[in-house]
Amino acid sequence: MPVNTSRAARRLLRTIAGLVTVVALAACAPGGTNTAGGSATPKPGGDITFLIDSLGDTWIPNNSSISSFQGHIWGQVTDKLVYVDENGAVSPWIAQSWEQNADATQFTLHLKQGVTFSDGTPLDAAAVVANLDIWARGDASRGINPIGLFPKTYDHAEAVDASTVKVSFTAPTLGFIPTLGYHGSILISPKTLALPAGEQADLSNDIGSGPYVVASWKEGDSVVLKKRADYNWGPPALNHQGPAYLDSITYKIVAEPSVRTAAVQSHQADVAYNPSPQELSSFKEQGYTTATPRYLGFVNGFAVNTKAAPFDDVRVRQALQHGINRDEIISTVYTPDWLPAKSFIQSNVPGATDHSTDFAYDAAEANRLLDEAGWVKGPDGTRAKNGKPLELTLYPNPYLATSKSVDELIAQQLGKIGFKVTIQAFDVVTYSSRIKVGGVPAYEVTRSFIDAGTVAGVLTDANNGENWFGLGQSDPKLTQLGAAVAGASTVGERDKVLDQLQGYVLQQGYFVPITQIVQRIYLQSPDLHGVSYNGLAYANYYTAWLG
Amino acid sequence: MDSGYAAYAARRVLQAVVVILLAYVFTFLVISVLPGDPVTNTLRNPQNGFTEEQISRIVSYYGLDRPVGVQLWESLSRFVTGDLGVSLRSNLPVSRMIGEVLGSTLVLAASALAVALVLALAIGFGTRFLPKRAARLLRSFPSLFLSLPNFVIGLVLIQVFAFQLGLFRVIDAEGGLATFFAAVALGIPVSARIAEVLITNLDHEAGQEYAAVARSRGPGRARLFARHLLKPSSLPVVTVIAVVVGELLSGAVITEQIFGRTGIGSLVQRSVTTQDLPVLQAIVSLAAVVFVAVNLLADLVYPLLDPRVRLGGKRQKAAVPA
Repeated sequence: MPVNTSRAARRLLRTIAGLVTVVALAACAPGGTNTAGGSATPKPGGDITFLIDSLGDTWIPNNSSISSFQGHIWGQVTDKLVYVDENGAVSPWIAQSWEQNADATQFTLHLKQGVTFSDGTPLDAAAVVANLDIWARGDASRGINPIGLFPKTYDHAEAVDASTVKVSFTAPTLGFIPTLGYHGSILISPKTLALPAGEQADLSNDIGSGPYVVASWKEGDSVVLKKRADYNWGPPALNHQGPAYLDSITYKIVAEPSVRTAAVQSHQADVAYNPSPQELSSFKEQGYTTATPRYLGFVNGFAVNTKAAPFDDVRVRQALQHGINRDEIISTVYTPDWLPAKSFIQSNVPGATDHSTDFAYDAAEANRLLDEAGWVKGPDGTRAKNGKPLELTLYPNPYLATSKSVDELIAQQLGKIGFKVTIQAFDVVTYSSRIKVGGVPAYEVTRSFIDAGTVAGVLTDANNGENWFGLGQSDPKLTQLGAAVAGASTVGERDKVLDQLQGYVLQQGYFVPITQIVQRIYLQSPDLHGVSYNGLAYANYYTAWLG
Repeated sequence: MDSGYAAYAARRVLQAVVVILLAYVFTFLVISVLPGDPVTNTLRNPQNGFTEEQISRIVSYYGLDRPVGVQLWESLSRFVTGDLGVSLRSNLPVSRMIGEVLGSTLVLAASALAVALVLALAIGFGTRFLPKRAARLLRSFPSLFLSLPNFVIGLVLIQVFAFQLGLFRVIDAEGGLATFFAAVALGIPVSARIAEVLITNLDHEAGQEYAAVARSRGPGRARLFARHLLKPSSLPVVTVIAVVVGELLSGAVITEQIFGRTGIGSLVQRSVTTQDLPVLQAIVSLAAVVFVAVNLLADLVYPLLDPRVRLGGKRQKAAVPA
């Protein structure tokens, strides 16, 4: 075999060695730093790229509108009847004003005039009626879903004149107006709504009246939005009228989180969605903007099934509440941007009150409650009663990326007071088919809503309720409080009952709160300014500019 | 073309049709035994707040509440007429979804195969003509490449060439250089398989008498390698290439995800996680078509490389030396 070293071979080796060195040095070089100064005055122009982990599934507006991902696009392409800010405050948008009758069963909406969809169709009373009907009922014959959280008490809507709509309900529905700001309640051109499902699934056919229009899209890849030049009906609450500042927004799927954040750091993109919470402080130190807006809804926590022993004993449920150290969860899994729960609803929901003392971390109290309930600690630290160990299986919620880490920490914390906790993690597909609220001892809740009236629908099985705690209507006080929340006709009246309801649910240990949820995390270039977040934690780029 | 060849070709096409139909049915059965379906899974997302009655009405619209046998028959009847159906996830026609991404994957796979071949040839050449120590080092490359997961290679390439050196933008994943680096990530593990077989065969051929005679005539290294060593070593390599097509397709799932490319791989990934049966059936059938076509092509190439191989009946296939 010829083994002579040729000049060519030596040259090849030198080239390879040189390349390896360059690569190694480059890999060791520090990441890009951002030194942009930025101006405080909004200026039109510029394009941004938003990197996102997914763009959901179908684009049929009704079927996709609850998607955590697609809501970003709908928020720029469509308008809503009302605007709900991050504190749950409802303000006019396409509906300039509204009134309701005394028992909150009939509402009259007065629409802004001169608003058009991007296909030229006027956004008038007839268009709003068409949207309300499809939100409430869907169209099963065409495969169009209703919007799940739209009030089930909807009866009908009628166009009184071109800019007035009267909406009727079969029962008091105080949550109707806030629900119009929910991310499902997007106004779509009646021409689109009349299309078959297959054509609505093509995003190019989905026409809204928002500040941006769809310029192009590719399934599973990207959506490019262009500014609509004649847009002039943004929510007054955002303090900006006329067209958006940015010329275009490109939403591009990059599945790998580290690639998303590195692209922002190397100035290849402007926003990275859902970076890891643990990295946020490092990004802040490097000068990047991070945002962790909280949505309106339930906190992250467990709905306890009172039918499943030993959680039929209030003392065991209370021990669960007192055995969880929420501060440790925040310092270990999250950052100080996360807040401990104060109730079972997020504290930015209007009507939420502070009941944190009812479930505060207190290991001694948890031990006392379990002792009193007859659960005796064995030599391995696990409690048992009548030969049965005190066991709990947790099923991390796959819709919350940090859920498994949080559950692992909770398993350790509960282990200290004598629980034997096992964790069974499933992917979304298996989870959604196997794990159901009421079917497991502790169901991990992550759910947004826009109006606190939603709470009434989960407590018992009254009016097709979700019966989160497995009680049916066996707890008269809970049933009565739920009915009072659902039937309240004024916000003041409802807030009073809502406060009692929160206290009762927590004192009975029906719900074990963990932390307030941040489900949407943004890492943003310091060059991007003026971004605001709505009540569902979606970014509004209508008011944003580059500088 | 003689009648023997025509009969051979007809037999192979028939075999291909059976393989494709079996792949279609098999995919249906495998997905059907899994719990849930994409429609129900989406509807059961707690954010939806649908009642059971609403869920069952929608599931019924998609026909997912009918017996599995009925669903299979309908799906198969559609398939044989060329209708791939509608995606349960996106509600778009499956043919449109595949058409939009197929080109990207073909470009990636072809580029990766080219990268793999160049690497394998370079390694093969190096093992024959580099100094002993360097050649020994090169011989360890295939094992090293095989043990490197392509997502690690991909992340390192992106970190260095996109973020540090700025040679390509991750948001322009279909661009020339982005495609090249994706092809490198995908091609490196594939090159290992080809290089392993090539090295073994080169060693075998180099020990043959005709190779010693050829060497004694004093041709240049490149000529000796290409004419006297590579050509007789290439028959098993063609077999391996036909096999690594599968690896290219499966590797594309990861590579496309890492590089943000939208191809068949990323479509598979999205369809598997959502149990999108019509899309998966179409893609598995497409993969079966590719496998059959590539293997057929390999069979047709054999006689060109080695005249001892004859089509139809007594075929003398060169064995891969141990």
